[in-house]
Amino acid sequence: MDDLTRVRDLYGEPGPDPALKARVGALIEAEARRRLRVMPWTAALVAAAVAAGVVVALPGGNLASGSEGRSILLAAAVRAESGDARAGAYWRVRKLVRERHPEMLGGGANRYWMIEPRVSEQWVSRGGRVWSGTVTLGAEPATRTDEAAWRRDGSPGEWPGLSTAPGRSTLTDVPGGVAFSMAGQTMTFAQIRALPADPVALRENVAKAVRAASGPDQGVVADALSGLLWSKPSPPEVRAAAYRALADLPEVEYLGRRTDESGRTGAAFSFELGVPAARRTLIIDTGSSQVLSSTTDAPGVQHDQVELVLEAGWTDERPTAPEAALPTGTP
Amino acid sequence: MTTVSWAAHRAGDAEAVRHSLADAERFSVIFDTYFGEIHRYVAQRLGTDSAEDVVAETFLTAFRKRARYDPARASVRVWLYGIATNLIRRHHRTEVRALRALGRHGPDPDFPGHEDEVSVQVSAESLRPHIAAAVAELHQRDRDVLLLVALAELSHEEIATALGIPYGTVGSRLNRARRKLRAALGDTNPMRDPRENGHG
Repeated sequence: MDDLTRVRDLYGEPGPDPALKARVGALIEAEARRRLRVMPWTAALVAAAVAAGVVVALPGGNLASGSEGRSILLAAAVRAESGDARAGAYWRVRKLVRERHPEMLGGGANRYWMIEPRVSEQWVSRGGRVWSGTVTLGAEPATRTDEAAWRRDGSPGEWPGLSTAPGRSTLTDVPGGVAFSMAGQTMTFAQIRALPADPVALRENVAKAVRAASGPDQGVVADALSGLLWSKPSPPEVRAAAYRALADLPEVEYLGRRTDESGRTGAAFSFELGVPAARRTLIIDTGSSQVLSSTTDAPGVQHDQVELVLEAGWTDERPTAPEAALPTGTP
Repeated sequence: MTTVSWAAHRAGDAEAVRHSLADAERFSVIFDTYFGEIHRYVAQRLGTDSAEDVVAETFLTAFRKRARYDPARASVRVWLYGIATNLIRRHHRTEVRALRALGRHGPDPDFPGHEDEVSVQVSAESLRPHIAAAVAELHQRDRDVLLLVALAELSHEEIATALGIPYGTVGSRLNRARRKLRAALGDTNPMRDPRENGHG
């Protein structure tokens, strides 16, 4: 037996890990979606969405001076301003992500879409170390129509990389992980803290980051500003400035009161994502100025990805794998 | 795998990477083809528990840098091994810890190696801690080459491409690594040609 064989035998053959493959596959999907290139913008999908009876949202009114939408954003800015400025040991964002599986499943007349719900947590220490926690909750049919087709298909529970069974909860230390990014550019705590508290200056700063991002698909100003409202540890005055800057953007539309997928009601604002018919809708809790949910519509695909914000803030707890438990009211 | 099917496979891979620039879903072909192999390699080196981050980062890096992939330089498979190896290098301590565990307990008993004969197994078992320690003590650069030969079964030329080093350097690093391994195994017979067990 030669030395190379001995080395091979020392290491053995780790077996395949389909669950890990599914998790990594989901990460790549998310990355691709983030860049707005993977979304299957095909005529077939548009047709499928229309056939499924999806109602296309009509644009609401813009944020003219004195309009209801504008006053909601400005009031949220005032509330944001009085937020807690104290930082804890970790910035933590906990969300329930409901993402549509990219392919239609089933066969023949029994074709259906599945949703892949997962609880996802990101922890960032003040030193910038990143942990990512995730637990998949088990795939489910997207709509009642999809559910009926799934049942006719024999109610299958397993597909390659997809399962109706909940997954294992994991917490991974992401070495060299990017804590925060705006318009595709990496940001540190210090850079976020140093953002301007003046809405015009903030908008200019963000617009510059958007222009610096390569390619037209890297996001838009409204999207980058809305990220400052919940996914990043923006100081209270920066959150307030982001609300005020959003109120001045012509592309932001007020859609009225809406209920998110976990049954919480708030004021809905929407903007296009740089690609025609790709939109993001935020539902904001007017009482607390917190973002409740962020929903992405792909062309022909309503609710392609729904992020329900469960928690976003500072904590002194230590990073732990997320619990699969959902807040009451979640369907 | 025959040379012909390899060549055909590679041509398809490069095309998939190119098409994935316009249609990112095409990247899933690459992911599906190589996930198992790359995961196995990373899990071997870092242990199954620590493999996830590096495997994820390997494919994310490949996806993000797919515009820069040059099919004239490397096959997609070799390109992925290069990315994974570079990432593993940042986890030196995890790798050493994994080797210590392998030396003590051997690979996960659920997934035994290809040992069948009891006698061979016994001798392999008794040498295991020595081999693990010797691999752990190798210089990182030498270990990368050794393991790309032993675990990934890449050719010298492929390793040179994957790691971005000259062809001749691959041979000298491999020889140095194997010399140290043999010394650790007590095989210092000067009559033995170090090249006789070339990887083929």
